[in-house]
Amino acid sequence: MCTLPEPRRLPGDLAMWFFILAELSVFAILILAFAVTQALKPEVFAEGRAQLDTSTGLAMTLSLLTAGLLAALALQQVRLQRWRRGAGLFVAALLVALVYVAIKLTEYAHLGAAGLGLEHSTFFTLYWLLTGFHFLHVLLGMVILAWLALGCWRGGLSVGGLESGVLYWHMVDLVWVVLFPLVYVIG
Amino acid sequence: MSISQGLIVCWATLVVLSVGTVLAGGSGLWLAVLLLAVVKAWLIADGFMELRHAPRFWRALVLGWPVVLVLVVGLV
Repeated sequence: MCTLPEPRRLPGDLAMWFFILAELSVFAILILAFAVTQALKPEVFAEGRAQLDTSTGLAMTLSLLTAGLLAALALQQVRLQRWRRGAGLFVAALLVALVYVAIKLTEYAHLGAAGLGLEHSTFFTLYWLLTGFHFLHVLLGMVILAWLALGCWRGGLSVGGLESGVLYWHMVDLVWVVLFPLVYVIG
Repeated sequence: MSISQGLIVCWATLVVLSVGTVLAGGSGLWLAVLLLAVVKAWLIADGFMELRHAPRFWRALVLGWPVVLVLVVGLV
């Protein structure tokens, strides 16, 4: 007996995917601007990057990825109708995301105190614009995670809505894994 | 392997590759750093975003995003 293959399925709402594509396009422009300017001013970028701590960038990467894992696990629990367990995992994701925020704010404060602000050099202009824009997306992602946690606790959220919210967080992760090596690692 | 176990394996691989990115960068292996960025983006897209079983058009769009970026970054 032959079995039909499972139909391909796009998780979440289609509108969220169009939103994700728009966001990825904007980040692509910023990332390319960073890369092209680096090629034009390699010394300025090498000097600027030397002021950044790669291990701090790695710690932020691990916190974002771990929050992504917890959000994905929460979605699986909801699919199994374990709503309260899903809510707990969304709260855990939110707490791990807070670690990223704390590290990022510490880094921003350190750079600000050292006089490495937006106008210090071309590197730092693009550093603040690119990472600041990503930081704002993380904050929005955390609002969404909190809303998902609350929705799971109270019940009444659709699985499609939950998938869309979780997808947004993964998009933030996706951008970071390309942004991190470009800003912190590649000389 | 359950879906949750698969997600944990995906996350553990991402962690190892992230550490590998820093080590490769420290050794000046820029090509390896760029390739690791693509692999990590693909793991997030296929594993976390569940695009492995999504319509090919959407999967190709998201999987193509890091490839185009890394190609341009590598070329400039």
